[in-house]
Amino acid sequence: MASKKLRRAGLAQELCERLSRHQINTCHDFLCVSFLELMKVTGQSYQNVQKLLCKVSRACAPKMQTAYDLKMKRAVNPFSAFLSTTLDSLDKALHGGVACGSLTEVTGPPGCGKTQFCIMMCVLATLPTSLGGLDGAVIYIDTESAFSAERLVQIAEHRLPNYFVTEEKLVSMTRSIHLYRELTCESVLKRIESLEEEIISKRVKLVIIDSVASVVRKEFDTKLQGNLTERSNFLAREASLLKYLAEEFSIPVSFLFVCLFVFPPPIFEIIQLCAA
Amino acid sequence: MAGSTAQRRRPPASRSGEDATTLPREIGISKEEALETLQVIRQECDSNAVRTGGDPTALRKCTALELLEQEQAQGFVITFCSALDDMLGGGVQLTKITEICGAPGVGKTQLCMQLAVDVQIPECFGGLAGEAVYIDTEGSFMVERVVDIATACVQHCQLIAEAQQEEDHHKALETFSLEGILSHMYYFRCHDYTELLAQIYLLPDFLSEHSKVRLVAVDGIAFPFRHDFEDLSLRTRLLNGLAQQLISIANDHKLAVILTNQMTTRIGQSQSTLVPALGESWGHAATIRLILHWDNNQRLATLYKSPSQKESTVPYCVTPHGFRDVQPPPPSQTPEGSEMNPRKRPRIEEDKQ
Repeated sequence: MASKKLRRAGLAQELCERLSRHQINTCHDFLCVSFLELMKVTGQSYQNVQKLLCKVSRACAPKMQTAYDLKMKRAVNPFSAFLSTTLDSLDKALHGGVACGSLTEVTGPPGCGKTQFCIMMCVLATLPTSLGGLDGAVIYIDTESAFSAERLVQIAEHRLPNYFVTEEKLVSMTRSIHLYRELTCESVLKRIESLEEEIISKRVKLVIIDSVASVVRKEFDTKLQGNLTERSNFLAREASLLKYLAEEFSIPVSFLFVCLFVFPPPIFEIIQLCAA
Repeated sequence: MAGSTAQRRRPPASRSGEDATTLPREIGISKEEALETLQVIRQECDSNAVRTGGDPTALRKCTALELLEQEQAQGFVITFCSALDDMLGGGVQLTKITEICGAPGVGKTQLCMQLAVDVQIPECFGGLAGEAVYIDTEGSFMVERVVDIATACVQHCQLIAEAQQEEDHHKALETFSLEGILSHMYYFRCHDYTELLAQIYLLPDFLSEHSKVRLVAVDGIAFPFRHDFEDLSLRTRLLNGLAQQLISIANDHKLAVILTNQMTTRIGQSQSTLVPALGESWGHAATIRLILHWDNNQRLATLYKSPSQKESTVPYCVTPHGFRDVQPPPPSQTPEGSEMNPRKRPRIEEDKQ
C-alpha cells in the first residue's frame, strides 16, 4: 500500500514527472515530505496541495469496517476463528483456542513442554475441520533441531487412535508438515520473507517458529554497544512480517521464547507453560 | 502574529508594513485613530478577498469564561472503573489527547476497547451517545472481546433501567444493543506508518460525514514508528505533524483522542528505567498521560501528567466484563488453610489498610 506509485494513485502525468525529479515516487515518499516542501516542489497553491494530499491518502489508506462487519466475518466460519488445543481449560482461557490471524507466543523454562505443545498443534492443524482442525499444511521453522518426526507420529497415534488407523493417514499428515532448519538470524528472516508464496502454494494453515530466542541469544550480546538496538530492530522486523502474514492469510502463527528475556513489545497473547 | 496578519491583508494602496504604532508617528494622529483606520482598511480587504469556507482562526479565540462554560457542559467518557474516573476528574476528557502508556499485557488495548464501547452509552444513563473510531496498528483488536465488553455494558444499563423505571431509559435501550454498539465502531487497520499518516489526513473528512463520533482511539501510536527508522529527525517531524493534526481534530470536532504508547528501557548510569517510548519530544504531544504498570499481581494506573488533576495512582482490574474497579476481598475469606495458589501470599487483615 505504502509503496504504491503515485501515477496509480491518480495524479496527473506531468505532476508525477515533476515529483520524480525530486525523488518522490511512491505514496510513502509523498506523505513523508513536509507541506511547505510539497508546495515548493509541485508549485501549487495551499488548497491544491491539500487536495493532492487527500487524493494520495485515499490511495493508500485502509478500508473502513465496522466492528459489526468484523464480527460477521468471523461468524461465517466459527471454526476458522480459533484452532482448538483440545485442552479444555486452556481453550476456555483463550476464548476458543489459538487465535487465527494473530500471533501467539509460548514461553517457559527449558524442559517444560513447549516443543511438545507445538508438535501437538502440528497434528491438530492437519486434521479435517470436522475434527476441529484446519485441514491444511504446517510450516515449522526449527532453529534448535528439536523437532522429532518419530515423536510426531507417536503423538498422532496416541492422541487420535481412531483417526490414524491406516498407514496412509499418517503419511498424508506427515507429508503436510514442512520443516525448515534455520540456524542464523538472517536466514530466519529470509525464510519468513519467502513464506508468503509458500503459504499460498502449499495451503498452509499454521506457522510455528521454534524458537525465536535461540538464534537471537547466539548472535546478539547485549553487553556490546549497539547490539541492543540491532536486536530490537531484527525482532521488530520479524514480528511485523509475521503479523502481516498472520492477518493476510488468517492463520495462527505460534512461536516460542525462552522466558528469561523481556522483549520490547508488540502485543501478543502469552501462554506461559511453567514447570510447576 | 498580529504584524504578519496585517501584512497578509495588505491594502492595495501604499500603506505597506505599517501598524498602529508606526502610523501615528508618520502622519501625526493618535493611536486609537490609527487603529480605527487600519481596521476599516482590513474590513474592506476582507470583503474583497476570497473566503475559503469557515475561517478557523475566528473559532479558536474565546475568553476563559466561555471556555469554562464549555468545559462544565461537556461530558466525559467513563471507564467503568470509578477509581480511575475520579482520578481523571470524571473520565476521559473531550477535546484533549490522552496517552496511555504501559508494558505489554497490562491492559491498554482493553481500556481502549472499553472506552470505545462506553462512549456510546445513551445520555439518559450518563454517557455521550457518541460513536467511536478505532485505528489499529498492532492488530490486537479482538471482536470477541468487544462483544463481551459490550454485552456487559448493555446489561449494566438494563439493570439501571429496571431499577429506575423511566420512559426514556427503555426507549434508549432499543438502540443501545450489541448490534448497535458494534455497528457504530469504525475500525481501520493500518499496517505501517504511511497508512497511519494517510488515515489521519483523511480523518477530518470522515468525521464531517460521521458527526456523531466522540472518540478516536489509536492503538498504538508507537508500533509503526519504533522499528525500521534510520532517520530519527524524519520520525520526530512526522510524529509532531501527527500530534498537531490530532489536536486540531480533537478541538474542531469536540471529541476525545486516546493513544496507546509502549514503554522502552532507558539505560542510565547505574540502573535502567522504563519510560514511555518515542522520545522526549513526543511527551509534549499528549495533554494527559496515564501510565499503567504492575505491582506484584496488582495492576495500577498512574496519572503522570495532567493540567487539572492531581498525580496519583489507583488499582484496577480487567475482568471478563471489561475494565473494572478492584473488588475488595470478601470478609469471610480465611487467611490460611485454603486451597489457594501456594505462590500467592495469603491475605492477612492488617495488610488491607
